[in-house]
Amino acid sequence: MYVRALPTTDVNRNTEWFTYPGVWTTYILILFFSWLLVLSVFNCSPGIAWTIVHLAHFTVTYHSFHWKKGTPFGDDQGVYNRLTWWEQVDNGKQLTRNRKFLTVVPVVLYLIASHTTDYQHPMLFLNTLAVFVMVVAKFPHMHKVRIFGINADR
Amino acid sequence: MITIPYLTAVSTYFSYGLLFAFGQLRDFFRRFLDWWLTSNLQGYAPICLGHEDFYIRRLYHRIQDCFERPISSAPDAWFDVVERYSNDNNKTLKRTTKTSRCLNLGSYNYLGFGSFDEYCTPRVIESLKKFSASTCSSRVDAGTTSVHAELEECVTRFVGKPAAVVFGMGYATNSAIIPVLIGKGGLILSDSLNHSSIVNGARGSGATIRVFQHNTPSHLERVLREQIAEGQPRTHRPWKKIIVVVEGIYSMEGEICHLPEVVAICKKYKAYVYLDEAHSIGAIGKTGKGICELLGVDTADVDVMMGTFTKSFGSCGGYIAGSKELIQYLKHQCPAHLYATSIPTPSAQQIISAIKVILGEDGSNRGAQKLARIRENSNFFRAELQKMGFEVLGDNDSPVMPIMLYNPAKIPSFSRECLREKVAVVVVGFPATPLLLARARICISASHSREDLIRALEVISKVGDLSGIKYFPAEPKKIEHTNNDIKLD
Repeated sequence: MYVRALPTTDVNRNTEWFTYPGVWTTYILILFFSWLLVLSVFNCSPGIAWTIVHLAHFTVTYHSFHWKKGTPFGDDQGVYNRLTWWEQVDNGKQLTRNRKFLTVVPVVLYLIASHTTDYQHPMLFLNTLAVFVMVVAKFPHMHKVRIFGINADR
Repeated sequence: MITIPYLTAVSTYFSYGLLFAFGQLRDFFRRFLDWWLTSNLQGYAPICLGHEDFYIRRLYHRIQDCFERPISSAPDAWFDVVERYSNDNNKTLKRTTKTSRCLNLGSYNYLGFGSFDEYCTPRVIESLKKFSASTCSSRVDAGTTSVHAELEECVTRFVGKPAAVVFGMGYATNSAIIPVLIGKGGLILSDSLNHSSIVNGARGSGATIRVFQHNTPSHLERVLREQIAEGQPRTHRPWKKIIVVVEGIYSMEGEICHLPEVVAICKKYKAYVYLDEAHSIGAIGKTGKGICELLGVDTADVDVMMGTFTKSFGSCGGYIAGSKELIQYLKHQCPAHLYATSIPTPSAQQIISAIKVILGEDGSNRGAQKLARIRENSNFFRAELQKMGFEVLGDNDSPVMPIMLYNPAKIPSFSRECLREKVAVVVVGFPATPLLLARARICISASHSREDLIRALEVISKVGDLSGIKYFPAEPKKIEHTNNDIKLD
């Protein structure tokens, strides 16, 4: 089964890979397979496994989308050095399809994790905190906002 | 248009994700271990900001032996590749004195001028003895010899424009000319896959840059209309100048630009056309005059024609050809002309001799033979590769053919296996190409004989099977040989 890869007009090499076909599927498949991995390694209940996946997903995506700034290569001479990956995606345009997808995924994960743990504490508290931070960080109003100067440049 | 199998796309993303994850893990532990070591920065700022060098340290260094291989002979059809070894897992590579003779599928040696040529080389040696290796001066001081004047006149005759100016370096031609042609208040519309010299020049000019979808004249028209209607960024005043920058052959795709449509659109909206013929001059067209000859575009319609001498002419440097007023202006304003050293005289002589051979002015028809041979070779090679099931990009007649690899692990496997079979190929990955679309780029030369190409095809087919890059079904071989079996009586 073949897909066509249309060339994009995004000049930022750090974010343009997100516009090619297959990214969303890969993302969802990685989440699903990591859930299976956690289940097989820790031998816990499915609910705990989903909670672990949700919290790990929160840590990894918060660090790579909203904390790390700039690009991992030096070719673009540092034009994006003040922007996190989330702020660079789609050239800063808000509410595109990619951004909506990436906002929905943590919420869906939260719903699955809460449902499979039967809404018990302390998992519910941790999950809710994680999804709250994730969704607020992706709001259009939070574009380039640094609260209390955390992660701002010198 | 690139067609990827869906499974390959998913597995490529997954592989890169894994590589990044491992890189981050190693960085994390490295930071932990380095905490105990004292820093010897002495108050200076670190050279790399943040994780700017992450890609180089954690991904590129792993497969460093596939890139920057030193060679120790002229870049002919066969050349000597220096063998290297590494004691610390590819972080540093040491050269040995051993070389291996490999088939050269990576040099831009389109017409075979990259090695000894019976017409050009004696004249170059004579010019070296007469004028010495460097002019030791910029063009305006003492760096213009009679050879330089003859070269500019030769270039105007070859390209078909009234005047030309020649520079010592092809990259510097683009990055120094574009800021002179346009400044703040102008608009540059550049193809999304333009070379980094154009990107550099455009960024250095201070003009507003807008990118249009690769080789899509309809998108160019849409962007142009939108930009003309909006005007300059905040003041909305009309643009002072609009330049559309396209390339003749795109070096990473092998595709030929849709020049007639682009020129028609630019005429309609009164924008200037800047054509970068680095790979197409001397390599395509019936008499080698480039993309304008191939597609039947009048050279008077293209306002600025730029090209380099590195590819088809076997020399160094670049040129700009245009109207007499434009070249006069450039000669007075361009820093590459006023301050940079002029092109070395033996190199200029090489270009003049190469142009004479191509045009047939040396008294033989070697030029026409070379052009016919490169066209034959490219079409044969591309057709055979496609029959074997590889995904090959590029149009017919283009001597550049990228073979798609996609997965990051196939980049080193293809490169190293081919080198083991004595075929030297160039592989390119992220960030020179988009993340998903890593490729091996083959450049065909007129000096490749049919046996060389068949040997290359055998090796590439074998390595392709090992690496699993035959993404399309192979065409079944013709069943002529069964008829011979039947006639046994």
